[in-house]
Amino acid sequence: MKTRNTAIALAIACIASSAAAQNQPIRIGVVTPLSGTYAGIGQQVRWGLDLAARQINAAGGVAGRQLELIYEDEEANPAVAVQKAEKLFQVNKVDFLTGTVNSGATLAVGQVAERNNRLIATTVSFADSITGDKCSPNVFRVNARAGMQSAALADWIARTRPNANVFYLGPDYEMGRSTVAAFKSAAEAKGAKSVGEVFAPLDNKDYSPFFGQMRSSRPAVIYTSVAGNDTVRLFSQMAEFGINRNVQVVGASGTVTSQNLPAIGKNADGFVTGVGYATSIDSAENRKFVADFEAANKSAPDLYGADSYGVLFFYKAAVEKAGSTDTDKVRAAMRGLQWSTPQGTKTMRAGDHQAMQDMYAMRVTNGKFELVGQVKADAAIGADVCTRF
Amino acid sequence: MSNAMEWLQFVLAPQMINGLSIGVAVVLMALGLTIIFGLLDVINMAHGEFYAIGAYLAVALLATGMSFWWALVLTPLLMAVLGFVTERGLIQRVFHSKDRHTLTLLLTFGVAVVLEDALKIAFGANPLRLEAPISGATEMLGLFFPNYRLFVMLFGGALIAGVWLLVFRTSLGAIVRAAAYDRNMSASLGVPVQLVYAGTFAFGVALAGIAGVLLAPIYSVFPTMGKDFVLIAFSVVIIGGMGSIKGALLAGLLLTQVQSISSLYISPVWSDPLLFGIMVLVLMWRPQGLFGKLGSA
Repeated sequence: MKTRNTAIALAIACIASSAAAQNQPIRIGVVTPLSGTYAGIGQQVRWGLDLAARQINAAGGVAGRQLELIYEDEEANPAVAVQKAEKLFQVNKVDFLTGTVNSGATLAVGQVAERNNRLIATTVSFADSITGDKCSPNVFRVNARAGMQSAALADWIARTRPNANVFYLGPDYEMGRSTVAAFKSAAEAKGAKSVGEVFAPLDNKDYSPFFGQMRSSRPAVIYTSVAGNDTVRLFSQMAEFGINRNVQVVGASGTVTSQNLPAIGKNADGFVTGVGYATSIDSAENRKFVADFEAANKSAPDLYGADSYGVLFFYKAAVEKAGSTDTDKVRAAMRGLQWSTPQGTKTMRAGDHQAMQDMYAMRVTNGKFELVGQVKADAAIGADVCTRF
Repeated sequence: MSNAMEWLQFVLAPQMINGLSIGVAVVLMALGLTIIFGLLDVINMAHGEFYAIGAYLAVALLATGMSFWWALVLTPLLMAVLGFVTERGLIQRVFHSKDRHTLTLLLTFGVAVVLEDALKIAFGANPLRLEAPISGATEMLGLFFPNYRLFVMLFGGALIAGVWLLVFRTSLGAIVRAAAYDRNMSASLGVPVQLVYAGTFAFGVALAGIAGVLLAPIYSVFPTMGKDFVLIAFSVVIIGGMGSIKGALLAGLLLTQVQSISSLYISPVWSDPLLFGIMVLVLMWRPQGLFGKLGSA
């Protein structure tokens, strides 16, 4: 694909070498995991970008210029991502770069973009720091960050179970502790009362020793950020001991996924989480997007596919508003920009380069996620803590 | 006074019963390990993977429409065959070398790595779950306990007692103990030592397989599941005395109680270091463990 795109680019370059510069394609670099653990996410990123590029090019391109995507495999490794990004900027002379998945890779590639004076946008990375204390004038985020997911969930709880007693159970490492801390502050701000917390080791085999503590603190809501097989064990053991009876179980967006949902089975029913996209969003734009995506890829989009699809429309809107692909002009155009995505209209907050969007609460019912709540963009976005620009 | 009673009934008692149910699981794992070590002097690093294979076999058998109970009977038989073949085909090849300890350790470690990846290829890396054949829970004296865990405790307890009787109260057990005590003398008295070795290894592997089936509904099934219990099972075997059944039983129940009760007071992350700390202390003061070997017990 890459060689073919390059070949086409060369051919176009030869034929059109005499033509004016604005008729040359706009090159967009995509550094995304095409192999390894995150290959499934990279696949969605690629499907979303390819679909958007096809649609934009068919409709006349960006300011009359075609879009050309150049893919590089980052192998979900920040060190590899940096090399590939450097190559795309230096050798392929890309105008814009996207696709990074791992939050570490996004932060590292952001620094490469600063050195090369180019702009990047992530469509996947969740870590709050990317548009928070580690924000960069060259980095934009079009997807929802972790804090917005917590805000959506906390809002849903406040509406369905006002002033609930909440118990927290997280895996004992950086991600587990930070997700619990973030959700705790979001829930307490909405009136929830924290009644206890436990951090279990990663790959913990038996959660029943903690059930006594959980039961005696009489929670109405249990929040968890365990993931993978730990979720399978936690949920089946909670069901075994009847811990989840009359208790609402909620959690992080990575707690129940398509990978572990089959093994959790009916014990996942009733679980609620907060996310930035759902295929069931009922709007004309989303219905069209889902239909086009399924027709092109024989597979449904997830949030990564949807946000990667949306990022090209973000870039298109910015370039057309700026009337140029010049970095400073495009950056100025991106700040405060409103553009249309499958989730509806998003707004790029100027202060920290974080997209504002409506957030959704999703509940598992009979092994499928269904929409149960929605939070307006300005209620979910949270404070701008970026101080660099 | 009434506060203390309430604490006993609602906090301590459930925690101890919980610990007991985990203890039975640990002892089931440690039993096969200690029997194999006691007789063959082989540290079976692949024990955890045999446990995983037992669980996957049950998943596969249930997928053919077989009931859980038949799978519980059939799996150990199939596992015994696998254990027999492993002993004759692999372990015997390096068994008579003077580096036996190192070579069998490396060999079984290699087998473990291969088996884990084989499971990944055959069944995929995503977790699977076995539905518990007994559902519901029992409430007794204000205590609430899942029926399936009660069954595992009773069945596991009976199994442990059965192994005990087999080894110490039958002539077959006497042959095994004799072979462990003095291989040459047993052979000269007509004991088919080679067969006893392979049979004992097969028996240990079958025990790991049974543990896999019994615990699959509680702990779910995935390729690296063997790692969960094998570390604590090794600690139990070391503390109880390498090769001692009595030691494995006592150390297994004791350690899981320590973990269970301590988790009321300390962060769960410290319960494993606590366990290994006890192991280090035992190794410092009583390196042979609490009890002696199979042949001398």
